[in-house]
Amino acid sequence: MAPQQQPEKRFYEVGRRRHEITLMPDGTEVWRRGRVPLTKRHWLAWRGVSNPKSLRRERRLLDKRPLWWTIGLGGLLVATPFLSDQAINIAAIFCIFSAINVIWTLIIGTAGIFSLATMAVVGMSGYAAAAANVYLGVPWPLMMPVGALVGLVLGGFLALPSTRLDGLYYALLTLGVAEICRVFVSQIKALAPANGSINQVDSFIPADWLLQRPGLLLGFFAAFALLLAALLVFRLINSERLGLLLQAAREDEAFSEATGIDYRRARLWVFVLSSGALGAIGAFYVMFYRSISLAVFSLDQLLLLFAMIVIGGLGRSEGAVIGTAIVVLIDKGMLDLGPLRIIIVTAVMIGVALTAHNGLTGVRAQFRNFRNRKKSERRAARTEKGGEVMPEEATEIADKQQVYYRLFDKRIRDRLKAQITPELIAEHKAKPLGQHSDALDRVLNYFRRGEMPDKYAILRVGEYTSSTYKVLAFSGRPGHPPRVVDDKLYATMDEAYHAVFLLRVNDLLAS
Amino acid sequence: MDAGLIVYALYLAAIYGLMAIGISLLWSSVGMVNMAHGATFAFAGYAAYFAAIWAGPLAKDWLGATGWSQPALAVFIGLVAICAGALFGVVIYLVAYLTIHDKQNFPVRSLIITLALNLATVQMLLWAFGPQQKALPRVFGVGRFDWLGMSIRVDQVVTIVATTLLLGTVLVWLRHSRRGLEIRAVMQNAEGAALCGISSRKTALPIMMLTGALAGLAAVLLSQNVFVSPTAGVTPLIKGLTIALLGGLGSVPGAVAGAVLIGFIEAATGAIPFLGQRYVLFVQFTFIVCVLLIRPRGLGGLLDETRE
Repeated sequence: MAPQQQPEKRFYEVGRRRHEITLMPDGTEVWRRGRVPLTKRHWLAWRGVSNPKSLRRERRLLDKRPLWWTIGLGGLLVATPFLSDQAINIAAIFCIFSAINVIWTLIIGTAGIFSLATMAVVGMSGYAAAAANVYLGVPWPLMMPVGALVGLVLGGFLALPSTRLDGLYYALLTLGVAEICRVFVSQIKALAPANGSINQVDSFIPADWLLQRPGLLLGFFAAFALLLAALLVFRLINSERLGLLLQAAREDEAFSEATGIDYRRARLWVFVLSSGALGAIGAFYVMFYRSISLAVFSLDQLLLLFAMIVIGGLGRSEGAVIGTAIVVLIDKGMLDLGPLRIIIVTAVMIGVALTAHNGLTGVRAQFRNFRNRKKSERRAARTEKGGEVMPEEATEIADKQQVYYRLFDKRIRDRLKAQITPELIAEHKAKPLGQHSDALDRVLNYFRRGEMPDKYAILRVGEYTSSTYKVLAFSGRPGHPPRVVDDKLYATMDEAYHAVFLLRVNDLLAS
Repeated sequence: MDAGLIVYALYLAAIYGLMAIGISLLWSSVGMVNMAHGATFAFAGYAAYFAAIWAGPLAKDWLGATGWSQPALAVFIGLVAICAGALFGVVIYLVAYLTIHDKQNFPVRSLIITLALNLATVQMLLWAFGPQQKALPRVFGVGRFDWLGMSIRVDQVVTIVATTLLLGTVLVWLRHSRRGLEIRAVMQNAEGAALCGISSRKTALPIMMLTGALAGLAAVLLSQNVFVSPTAGVTPLIKGLTIALLGGLGSVPGAVAGAVLIGFIEAATGAIPFLGQRYVLFVQFTFIVCVLLIRPRGLGGLLDETRE
């Protein structure tokens, strides 16, 4: 005889977070975690937890953003060499603008200084670096340090009024800085014949590769490295000492000052350092284009950059990069649309600002808030209570199964309540024991399954032959005797059974 | 300094004052920085231009003989521009205020939306009418007249008088009408006004229309000197914003004082041969930076504390 076919075993994944990446390490092994060289930080935020149900060790990834960064940037890096020349150029421009926006995010988000002088700093240091190269003969590897230096100095100047002025005043004031810079540069006599622009700047791209595919690819890889460097700067400032000081100040300025945090100085430091980084990016910008013109200072350019960080969400590096990707794709990728491009960009801006509280990266948190609000609204709107566990109570219950069980129990009670009819009670009265109808069976099964404190006992009173019966209620506490419910005496056991049934039905309907 | 320069300065002050007071009023009552003010300016300028094209021959036909055709045309164009500005104000109200005024993060979001509206309007005008500059007919008079031995341009005087009259009317209306009382109540304390039964939604609409109308008037007046073009609104917007800052956001007297100061500085900078017209913005910004460093809330700024 052939062995019987075993039915295929299927396991269903249950729980609310079944897609969570969970590792099941061997409990006896020592946990070795890699650390970033020279720091105490780990590469990924794995957290060890013990699963109360399976009693096993598990490892869960707390912060998945590094994975998304790797996928996004890695995909860009791998895919770009296979694209057309024009697309490579767009990718390179995306990297440069992303780098600017990431640093700008540092100023607006981390330092909390609403500065619009970004392009002014980029442009001025770009001009300085280009002039150093063309007129003073500084070789191109030194252009970025020159730009950074100029950026630092400019940042120092710009930072001075930021302590005194209110956020909005400072923002509108820095709008004018670009204009001042433009006039300043356009008045330099040496630049007058070239209409204010400096051309023929040396670059890291060899001159004979210019506008050739190898040159474009080299430009892209360099811009990509620049973006990585900008992200590193963001990470080093935002998530290390300076950023933490400022985070404390954002929560409560007075308190952080009382604990000895000089947040004003921290803000200035962040501003000055970011300006230095912007200066270095400005020098890179010049080398990438091999020239610089007064268009850097135009208001349109600034507003386009502002659109980028606003669409992504102010104050987050991923927001800056996502917003840049969207705007650059629309602006540079759909060149044949003409002026319609800018209108599409503004439509995206308006759409995001109308629907999202804080850009695209804030959508997730906003949706969670919305869902929680709706949940609590629904909870508040329910007239009938019972079963559900309030959030503050839920933290006290170690076994989360209990939380769900109470809800389940409530649902069962609701269904049984609907089944209790005079006919059902009459049926039980006629025959307390024995075979019952489906509805009565369900009710009785529920009663049997109940907890001890909810149950009743029957006490025989008097002689065995001529006895009557009384109903008692259990106290539910060990050592405490049951108490008498009432003085009624029942002649037969069946009557007592039915009396207990009526009491339980009463309890059920009252619950 | 000769009288022509003073009149020129007052003329600039009148136009910038119209823009700055609009921005300032809107900030103090509704709490939003209207970056679409420049778009309102350009939109109203185009409306006035087309109104002039349409109504110019008509006016000549009907009133040409009486000699009233130019003033009638001037009033008509002005009214069209004011209506266009008010209409644009309604658009801003619908898009940037009504949808999100009670939501989180309103100041930043409304700033973003009005900025986007500004960009979109400029691009649409560019798309529809091309980058060519259009000249309005010189309806406010041409030539000069002599007064106390000094020659003064007619259109500048007309502009100063018209602006003063209209601004005066607006201020009187704000002070003495029921609606003006509501607006001032919202300016002082929006929450308190709401508790007294003043709907912030219903009050914001007239404010937006009013500020839009002021920008429209400024567009017609300035277009006597500057051409109408899609990007014509950028400079008045920046000037208006900076003057509103200089005067202290929310303060109407401060805005007027700031406008007069900036008008004089602009006229003087343009007249000094050493500096010239190219340095106008440069000198202005430097001046404003200096003032704000000394008085961080601007000349008349006092409302910010109460707003917080």
